[in-house]
Amino acid sequence: MEFGPIVRAMLRNKVRFGLIVAEIALTLAVVTNCVALILHARGEMSRPSGFDDEALVRVDARQLDTSYRDEGRLDEARRRDVEALRATPGVRSVMNTNFLPWTGGGSSTEVKPLGAPTMLRTQVYATDASVSATLGVALEAGREFTAADAERDAERLRALNATRRERDAAGKVGAADRYLQDVVVSRALAELAFGPGPHLGQLLEDSDGDHYQIVGVIDRFYNPYGWPIHEYVMFYANHVRSYEGGAAFLVRAEPGRAAAVARAIEERLRRPGEAREIQVRLITDVRDKFFGPQRLVSMLMGSVVVLLLAVTAFGVGGLTSFSVTERTRQIGTRRALGATTGAVLRYFLLENWLLTTAGLALGGALAVGLNVLLVSTVAGAKLHAGVVALGMAALWAAGLGAALLPARRAARTSPAVATRNV
Amino acid sequence: MLGYQLRTAAKSLRRDPGHAGLVVLGIALGVAVATLFSAIHHAFARDPVPGKSGSLYYVRLDSWGGDKPHPHRSGLPPQLTFRDATALQRSDIPARQSAMFKATLNVFPEAGQPRRQTARLCSADFFAMFDVPFEYGAGWDRKADAGPEPVVVLSREANERFFGGADSVGRRLRIEEREFRVAGVVGRWPVSIKFYDLTQGAPSPEDLFLPFNFVRPMQIRTSGNTDGWGGSAAPGFEGFLASESTWLQMWVELPTEERARAYKSFLDAYVLDQKKTGRFPRPLHTRLTPLLEWMDEQNAVPPETTAMMAVSLLFLAVCALNLMGLLMAKFLSRGAEIGVRRALGARRLDVFVQHVLECELVALAGGALGFGLAALGLFGVNSLAKAIVLRGDLFRLDLAMAGFAAAAALAAGLVAGLYPALRACRVPPAAHLKLQ
Repeated sequence: MEFGPIVRAMLRNKVRFGLIVAEIALTLAVVTNCVALILHARGEMSRPSGFDDEALVRVDARQLDTSYRDEGRLDEARRRDVEALRATPGVRSVMNTNFLPWTGGGSSTEVKPLGAPTMLRTQVYATDASVSATLGVALEAGREFTAADAERDAERLRALNATRRERDAAGKVGAADRYLQDVVVSRALAELAFGPGPHLGQLLEDSDGDHYQIVGVIDRFYNPYGWPIHEYVMFYANHVRSYEGGAAFLVRAEPGRAAAVARAIEERLRRPGEAREIQVRLITDVRDKFFGPQRLVSMLMGSVVVLLLAVTAFGVGGLTSFSVTERTRQIGTRRALGATTGAVLRYFLLENWLLTTAGLALGGALAVGLNVLLVSTVAGAKLHAGVVALGMAALWAAGLGAALLPARRAARTSPAVATRNV
Repeated sequence: MLGYQLRTAAKSLRRDPGHAGLVVLGIALGVAVATLFSAIHHAFARDPVPGKSGSLYYVRLDSWGGDKPHPHRSGLPPQLTFRDATALQRSDIPARQSAMFKATLNVFPEAGQPRRQTARLCSADFFAMFDVPFEYGAGWDRKADAGPEPVVVLSREANERFFGGADSVGRRLRIEEREFRVAGVVGRWPVSIKFYDLTQGAPSPEDLFLPFNFVRPMQIRTSGNTDGWGGSAAPGFEGFLASESTWLQMWVELPTEERARAYKSFLDAYVLDQKKTGRFPRPLHTRLTPLLEWMDEQNAVPPETTAMMAVSLLFLAVCALNLMGLLMAKFLSRGAEIGVRRALGARRLDVFVQHVLECELVALAGGALGFGLAALGLFGVNSLAKAIVLRGDLFRLDLAMAGFAAAAALAAGLVAGLYPALRACRVPPAAHLKLQ
């Protein structure tokens, strides 16, 4: 192999060859970091909620006239809506709830195990039916709520909200006025509060001093939230109304029938003579919207990666082509002195291989540096060795491919060129 | 002399239009990508109230209770309670001020179905404070705040919806069970983020704006975040208003440092006074945050866009490196010509300037083409955004972006051309003349 002559030739032309090295290095750094960001976004997007997302439909029914101030009429409307939803063909399960997965938010509160020093923040939602059946998750232990539980607890909460409760100096309600509510929690929350268990029957308290008893544990639950409480949830039994009146429902359809069920629901909930707004959304659409910005970013990053690889391949090809043209006489001389076509081809490919490899070595360091910078100052995903290796392989192939054409042109140089004055 | 240099440079470009075209395309691609991503970043990071954002402050008080600070990174609740917001509004230190929140209200147009619309309840100062542009009419005056008088300001879209886009000032609109009079219609307000309410992600300004003091008579609840501790002391809506629930944003305009200091002392004094009544159990902590700092704290600029801008600048750098190779090839193959010029008396500097000018001419052409490509790309991004995040007017190219594109092009041209031009002017005249 002609390493010696190649390296000596390079040293005489530092800038031109340095350009190739720098270009490859920069490209590797940028491409790997873009890919890391794309992979991170994809990971977030494909992270399972644990729910049967494909079969879930969210329904919001809101009164638009002033009747929404009338509790009796609202209860009546809700009851009729639940009946209509249950009777819709293709519906497996319905719950009246304020839980809407994949919106990046919801409602949260703070509780702690009875007597524990610090509060734990958790998502909290109300439901009037089985959470596990509607979300399609497992009920690990205990029981769930029925319509009768919701009826009873709603009545108790209503009475509680209408009375003035005595509080001590710390703002806690006295033992006589204390409220005890049954809750179904996610396993992640149960383990956060009580370790490996047992969980059933354990008591939690909130800042008012009210108590919550775990009657059921579901697994798994993942709903991205503004604070890192994505996996913690507490469901209690109640009827749910939106602030503006009307009610919200989560419906689980038979497999593959979500879209048809959604259309049927819109029809069934529209009742003549009522000023109502019915909004029916597939949870997969809600999720797509939630991840919209991330998808946009991924697409843009992807196009930059493709463009950059193309530009770099083109640039390396151009530079090699230039260096072939410039050395035509030299090649002719070598050919005249007996070098074969293969030897010339090998010379240029080897030269390119050395440059690319040097660029990749430098680029690996640059990629890690850029990654550290991005992660610490803005946003970024940690770079995995696999991504760097993949990027190196791709650029190696691209670099070699780009050099192939000019190298073949060089190999075809006729020995006679050496005698000509170019 | 410069004119001659320019002419020579242009002539040299015309001699090999294929090569020049390639260089132009290279620069254009780099500039297009850099401009596109900078425009996306600029849409979020740009000052939404140019010229006065430094005197607009977001108000926070640590009204939180319990044994742990509020989970927000600052340790403070990001919003105020109703009690505090109404009490603070009585101060006469700020030149302008507004407590505010977002709600969803039902609107009953004279014709057609009732519709739910997003609304912002705020004070008269809101419009002047944030330089809200008006298409028709104006905001309401402070007298209307006190009443409160039933006046409403509509967004362009709402005016389109309810009045077909006509001048609706003075017309009536029923909101919930009350008749409101239209005071004004907001004009084109190029905001990409709802900078005055960064507690929720929604990007678009609301459909309706009405006086804050309708909260009580109309019992309007927020549709934004409510964050509280401790139960309500009394039942019903009054209990909610009296509770420690935080759900209001509050902005003040303090034109001088002195007023800002005075207002900060006022806030501290207010909290210390409230502590006497048993409220504010945590250590004294109040904060006045200037608008741009608050945007920073709330990550109003999505960090991904900053990362993408950094990446796009590196892309431009790779393009510049490519061009350096191309230009070097061109300039060095011109050795003989340069040799003749030098032999005929051209100074090194002349040769150097001519070649740098040649690069910059090409770069400017590339910049112009790149700007066009960026506009095209941005059109694509906007349509994608419309499909994905339901807003197709987020990103625009403006004068600042044109300036950026030109600067990026010139910088790339300089980076790419400096070394080749230096090499070109170092060509020894004798060597090439001999060969001929």
